[in-house]
Amino acid sequence: MPPSARSSKKTTHTNKRLTVGLILILPVALLIISLTLGRYDINAFNVLRVLLSPIFPEAAAGIPEIARQLILQIRVPRILAALLIGASFGATGTAFQAIFKNPLVDSNILGVTSGAGFGAAVAILLMRSAWQVQLSAFVFGLLAVSLSFFGSRLYKATPLLVLTLMGILVGSLFNSLTSLLKYVADPLDSLPAITFWLLGSLTSITWQNIPALFVITMAGLVFLWLIRWRLNILSLGDDEAKSLGIDPIRMKLIIIMFATLMTAVAVSVSGVIGWVGLVIPHAGRLIVGPDHKRLLPVSVGLGAAFMILIDNIARTLLPGEIPLGVLTGLIGVPLLIVLLRQKRTGW
Amino acid sequence: MKNINFRITVIFLLISLVLVGCTPPAAPELESETHEPASASDLLEEEFLSQPTRFTIQADDDLQPSLIGLYDALYPGEIPGFVASGGDLIATRLEPAFDGRPYVPSWFLPGSALIPQDENPDVRDFIDFALSPDGQQILIELGELPSVVTLKDQAGNALKIQQPVRRVISAYGPSTAIVYSINAGDRLVAASYLGARDPQGAAAMERIDPRFTTLVGDDYFSQSEFNLEQAATLEPDLVIGGARSGWADSVSQLGIQVFLMEAETPDQLKEAMLLVGQLFGPHAHAQAQAWVAYFDWVIENTTIDTAHLTQPERVRVLFTGTEPLRVASGAMYQTDIIQAAGGISVSAELSGYWNDINLEQVAIWDPDVIIVPPYGGASVSAITDSLEWQILPAVQAEKVYRMPKLVVPWDTPAPDSVLGIIWMAGRLNPGLTSLDCGEEAAYFYNTFYNYTISGDEIAAICTIE
Repeated sequence: MPPSARSSKKTTHTNKRLTVGLILILPVALLIISLTLGRYDINAFNVLRVLLSPIFPEAAAGIPEIARQLILQIRVPRILAALLIGASFGATGTAFQAIFKNPLVDSNILGVTSGAGFGAAVAILLMRSAWQVQLSAFVFGLLAVSLSFFGSRLYKATPLLVLTLMGILVGSLFNSLTSLLKYVADPLDSLPAITFWLLGSLTSITWQNIPALFVITMAGLVFLWLIRWRLNILSLGDDEAKSLGIDPIRMKLIIIMFATLMTAVAVSVSGVIGWVGLVIPHAGRLIVGPDHKRLLPVSVGLGAAFMILIDNIARTLLPGEIPLGVLTGLIGVPLLIVLLRQKRTGW
Repeated sequence: MKNINFRITVIFLLISLVLVGCTPPAAPELESETHEPASASDLLEEEFLSQPTRFTIQADDDLQPSLIGLYDALYPGEIPGFVASGGDLIATRLEPAFDGRPYVPSWFLPGSALIPQDENPDVRDFIDFALSPDGQQILIELGELPSVVTLKDQAGNALKIQQPVRRVISAYGPSTAIVYSINAGDRLVAASYLGARDPQGAAAMERIDPRFTTLVGDDYFSQSEFNLEQAATLEPDLVIGGARSGWADSVSQLGIQVFLMEAETPDQLKEAMLLVGQLFGPHAHAQAQAWVAYFDWVIENTTIDTAHLTQPERVRVLFTGTEPLRVASGAMYQTDIIQAAGGISVSAELSGYWNDINLEQVAIWDPDVIIVPPYGGASVSAITDSLEWQILPAVQAEKVYRMPKLVVPWDTPAPDSVLGIIWMAGRLNPGLTSLDCGEEAAYFYNTFYNYTISGDEIAAICTIE
């Protein structure tokens, strides 16, 4: 190998590490900037004073109490939630695409989002409170994936294909049930609530949502990070995985379990936000290639950053909230096209 | 032989006739024993009329043919007893007085009313009959009322509605409320109701109309769907629906007349009242006119009461929806209610229907008062119990209230909303308002729903603690 080639490879390697680092810092930077954004006008310096005020109460002297509460009770949990949910979607999308060896799947492949949507719609129709809607969404999300999984056990051969098929079937089933609920829902009352939930929003996030979201998302991210090498192997195929000493079925089951929990808890607080889990891993691959060692953190960083960005627009652009499901496509598609034009790498 | 038999029969019949004629009448004697003795003037009158009458009518000359027609239809073969003065029932031309709280007499013809002078149940029956579809039919045959009403509904369709309308399906909550409030509720054969799904609302609706449980047809007839098979079995003359009902064409194709209404603003609601009023005869139309007059009078009062308030002095109101972070847009009727009551809707800048917003936006608006609606599981505690909402001064000051209702929510574009304006005015400016919620509720339900509201009901809906 000529020396120049070696040095260029080393440079590329360093460059990629730098890219990964930068992308991981991106959401943190966005988080800080986002705290100063909002329809209520508070300048960055005052935001900083407010953030310090829980530790140094005198720091926020002279700032209206309503502004202080707005940042601490509304903005901070909401932006944190956007970060966690975006990271979760990025990571689970990447993991699902790896284990299904299919770049067209996301975390909804086993019906978790459809199940959660149905669960939320049931609870809204029964006029339950916010936390009951979330719990119902979470439970039905898990139920949908369990149905897909145990359904696929009915047919022994080519388990992955059958699992995909069952996921699509269960997803359609729950989508039909949700449509039924929308049909019977009161058009003046519960129907708009269901529609709004199905389009996704972080408007009702409070501190109460954060602990569960944080614990499950972080546990899932750490788990996926620990098995990032195995994701590479699984994406090669079952035979290769076996020859390298991994039980692919068991491994996949564990990954599905973690990813499902992560997605269910995210969807249960945010509503249905499509697209992110599907496209963010592609964006990641365009930037750092298909190696999960880099792809996973990049997808996490990009997902979190993208979600914070989208939610900033949703909450600040108009007096009324814009559903996230509308913005993810409107803003994500042009971004992805730009990325596609600049890079042409292998999948 | 045949001839003799015939003669004997004729003679026998003649003898028995004479006998019957000579026998003193037994029944009247018994009656006069049970009743109080008849006064001299009554006896004189009876003699003068040469036949017994159920009650006397003091009527303008030109109204007498109509009254005779009605009387004959209700009591076949009988003739009403007209008197020059002191009748049990007065039938006269009246100049309708639509001001303040209009008194609505029984208008059996346009501009002509029946006014009972005592508690005679026959008088009541006669008035009810005169206002009923059967009575309307008689007056149509006499040429006193039109047999077809021509008008344009609020979707712009030109309609020719055959009179009288006897069987109506109301497939839209606000139109059902309108039909009741113009005293045509007895012509409903099925209806979609507003605010009658919760137990209290259903119970109150059943007190207003005992037929409610058999009429309620929300599963078959609503804005979004219309069960044609079910409708056909009910044989309606007319279907009333909301202007955005998608099923109107298919119902028309069945040969059933469809009237579509749209009431998203006060002006549209007034127009809807007057149009629907025309569909059900002169009394219903007069009821509708009375309501419009009452509505205008209430707004005039609340406007005068709050006229001196400058813009910064006006109470800033946030009207939320079925969820705390869903609020009414400026295009919605709730905004009109707030304005009529002398307040300002902070979310008036929003367009469309209900808008989903975030708490930060609420903090910017910083409302003085938050109102939640009486439906869809909305509750004051969903706001006051929330830690996040506590950041708002209005919540800290516990200025979060629930709009009241008896059956129809007072914030919806239906006749009852006139009380919503009165309640809102009292809520926002307690010291300024001249109208009393309880007093007006009693008048309103008595006049427009023919329902005597109880003290307990008034206390439950009008208490401003």
